[in-house]
Amino acid sequence: MSLIVRGPFASILDFARRDRLSGIGAVLLASLVLLGLIGPVLPLGDAEEIGVGPRLAAPAADWLLGTDELGRSALPRIVEGLRATFLLASMAVILTGILGTLVGLTAAYAGGIVDVAIMRLVDVLFAFPPLLLAILIAAVLEPGGTSAIIAISLITLPLFVRVVRAVALSIVERSYVIAAEVSGAGFLRVIVFHLLPNVLGAVIVQLTYALSIGMLVESELSFLGLGVQPPDASLGSLLRLGSVYLTAAPWLVFPAGLLLAAAILSVNLLGDGLRDLMDPLRGRSLR
Amino acid sequence: MRIFRFIAFRLGIALVTLFGVSIIVFMAVHFVPGSYEDVILGPFGTPETRAIVRAKYGLDRPAVEQYLHWLAATARGDFGTSLTTGQPVAAEIIRRAPATIQLAVMATLLAIAVGVPMGIASGVTSTSQFGRTAGRLVGALGASVPVFVLGTIFVFMFSIWSLGLTVGGYVPLFEDPLTNMRAMTLPVVTLSVFGMALIQRTTRDSVLSVTSETHVTAAVARGERPPDIIRSHVLRNASIPIVTVTTVYFAYLLGGAIIVEQMFSVPGVAVYVVQSVRNRDYLAVQAGVLLAATVFVTINILADIVYALIDPRIGGKRSQS
Repeated sequence: MSLIVRGPFASILDFARRDRLSGIGAVLLASLVLLGLIGPVLPLGDAEEIGVGPRLAAPAADWLLGTDELGRSALPRIVEGLRATFLLASMAVILTGILGTLVGLTAAYAGGIVDVAIMRLVDVLFAFPPLLLAILIAAVLEPGGTSAIIAISLITLPLFVRVVRAVALSIVERSYVIAAEVSGAGFLRVIVFHLLPNVLGAVIVQLTYALSIGMLVESELSFLGLGVQPPDASLGSLLRLGSVYLTAAPWLVFPAGLLLAAAILSVNLLGDGLRDLMDPLRGRSLR
Repeated sequence: MRIFRFIAFRLGIALVTLFGVSIIVFMAVHFVPGSYEDVILGPFGTPETRAIVRAKYGLDRPAVEQYLHWLAATARGDFGTSLTTGQPVAAEIIRRAPATIQLAVMATLLAIAVGVPMGIASGVTSTSQFGRTAGRLVGALGASVPVFVLGTIFVFMFSIWSLGLTVGGYVPLFEDPLTNMRAMTLPVVTLSVFGMALIQRTTRDSVLSVTSETHVTAAVARGERPPDIIRSHVLRNASIPIVTVTTVYFAYLLGGAIIVEQMFSVPGVAVYVVQSVRNRDYLAVQAGVLLAATVFVTINILADIVYALIDPRIGGKRSQS
């Protein structure tokens, strides 16, 4: 944990140097997020303009990744889709992070009947098949970004709460927590100032995994036509539309699919690296 | 005796869980915009016919009474009749179950067959930089490609070189095994890749943490051969997390292979439930979700009981919830 003592920039560089794979993941993730963010101001063309070229045209200089069934240029649409996928998944995961941390800490610290009630609720949520839960929510709230965010949040919440609670349970009996209680710290104060800082590492690792699951679920939901609605696009909905013309216009499918896989991969690589940092598993040679 | 108390405790929790699921499903389905009358009568309902339909399905009663009525019928195995086809929901689910079960069983077996050896290999080679990187990359890659991207790639590849495999054309396994396998190979492989990665990652971590222990160092010092060390000192100790993850994966497949069933036209339960959501076929949705949750919870209980039998430390106070 010497990384934390030095300046943040130096420690990030150090992390990337010691663990190449996570470094690559971090760089890939940062560039994809940047691409999504500045996409609208890049000279890629208009994502919604119809008839930029012929319909289903193969990649060419004016439409680098071909055109779709309405003659829209595919490249700016893919960048739009990337942004939507990142945005929806991260909003959902932020929600999960805040809610899951609070609920998990409350369960661990309050104990007793509160703990039991919370964990039984978590069991209920965990027992739902994830995608089916998302489809039900889309049916109740009508499909769109909001219901996708709620669905991803509810899907990633159970594991998050369990992990936070499990980590916090090992802390609640420590002497500094008892010392804080004795000196009159209230429930909220103990949770925020004494428990939260000590579960933060686990929370960050869990957040990256939740983000990768969130991106998977969002894209699957959009692929089924229940995520973002036209004219908006996410990578999943682009693949849904493109797969109709799979053999005639494979350029509508493969760039979007590769980009989606690369985005999720970058999150997973970073998450693995962070977990390794918190809890290194060394193993040994068997010779 | 303690094992029986443990089982009773787990069963109790399972019942509470399923009770919660049933309440949420019932409420969710009743909040879906649109109503029974619209589904059955379409745009031609008059106030009189609407009232008849409401009375027939008990919709004029209080919600709590409707819920209890449904729960009692479901507990007896009566899932009601589909609003769109008029056929019993239970019969439709039973007709579709073999395809879903076959998909889940085969995908899980394939995931174990590939994931466990790969996980052991990446676990024991993790002391070298190359082995460590390769093991991590493979696991992360497999967990990062969405099933529909993988499925699309396979459909594209096999539309060019078919190799005797088909997309669609499902027939039951015991009717015509050859035709069945031609239709099921692609969906099974597509579905199992995520499982392979999941099992590879878990096996790798588990092997790494076991090989860090002193009894392995002792075995190495005694000069035992690596394959013997893996077999007799590593695998058994590393197995519980692997079994856990495999169980959850299998239970998840039984309830959720929606996209793969749809992409490859496998007539399974998951697509039926999704179609029912689209058709507002309330009773079918309620039955489908509750069934999936029941299967999930039951399989997890079985796994818990197996652990408690294997490992006497489990089942004590510390392992609850």
